[in-house]
Amino acid sequence: MMLLPCPWCGPRNAGEFKYAGEGGARPDPATTTPEEWRRYLYFHANTRGWVTESWYHGAGCRRWLVVERHTLTHEVREVRDAVQVAREGAR
Amino acid sequence: MSDTAAPLARSPIAPSPATVLDGWEVSARAATGASTLSDETPLAKVLVRAPFDGAGREALGVGFGRTLRTDLGSGAVLLVGSAPGEWLALGAPGTAPALRTALEERLAGTGELTSVLDLTHGRALVRLQGPAATAVLAGVCAIDLADTVTPDGTALRTSVAAVVTDVVRDDVAGVRSYLLHCERSSGQYLWDALLDAGSRSAVEVTGFRGLGSGGTAR
Ligand SMILES: [Zn+2]
Repeated sequence: MMLLPCPWCGPRNAGEFKYAGEGGARPDPATTTPEEWRRYLYFHANTRGWVTESWYHGAGCRRWLVVERHTLTHEVREVRDAVQVAREGAR
Repeated sequence: MSDTAAPLARSPIAPSPATVLDGWEVSARAATGASTLSDETPLAKVLVRAPFDGAGREALGVGFGRTLRTDLGSGAVLLVGSAPGEWLALGAPGTAPALRTALEERLAGTGELTSVLDLTHGRALVRLQGPAATAVLAGVCAIDLADTVTPDGTALRTSVAAVVTDVVRDDVAGVRSYLLHCERSSGQYLWDALLDAGSRSAVEVTGFRGLGSGGTAR
């Protein structure tokens, strides 16, 4: 069983979450080119190492989470609520 | 049922044999054993949404992960911190409109974006109670049910028999008891899964118990 430590719920089975892919800044829809938009939607770095990902805890707190996870070892070094991450970013 | 003029409310869990209580079709069974499963769907269920760290949380008096027994003016209420920024208020059958109004009044002064929604007929609610409750629940969910991790008054949401369920520990007069709350469409399935898991522990179906007052069985 793969565990993911939710900041609200504690460690839970990864099956309770929806994986929403690598996080990253979204291009501005008003100025982006179709090529940039396609790359943003469909192309991922697929890194072997530390990645920042979005997960949704659908069977728990129903919060979006920002997860820093090592794709080789599944070590998770940080999980934060996406709202809190956004608040910090807005400062 | 031709003698019933008022509309009859039904739980998604089929009772057998059935009787009518407070306008709801409920089970007429009375268990003799100590470990029971009861359909508590007739309880009023009102969902509150508000910022998880704002004035609404202060006004309600309980946060995510815990429960509070209170009276907002509509009778005894079990207020459940069901998720960050989400509360479930449970009250006696028929009290949902009064409970909704009481919650709206309680939140009116916060100045926050809040919503109060009557979900009584959209959800299923059951109570698993007795000495076997912990072992039965442990068979269908991965949460640590030890007193040190999930003591009386704990609220959480997780997968129970593969159904997304609010698990609320609400002991009754010192007896281990769990309220399990899920979408109405999953109610009968969850009920059957719990009965199946409880068959070896002699879990028996019993009739509607209600909230009682101060955690005492009715
Ligand atoms: Zn969570």
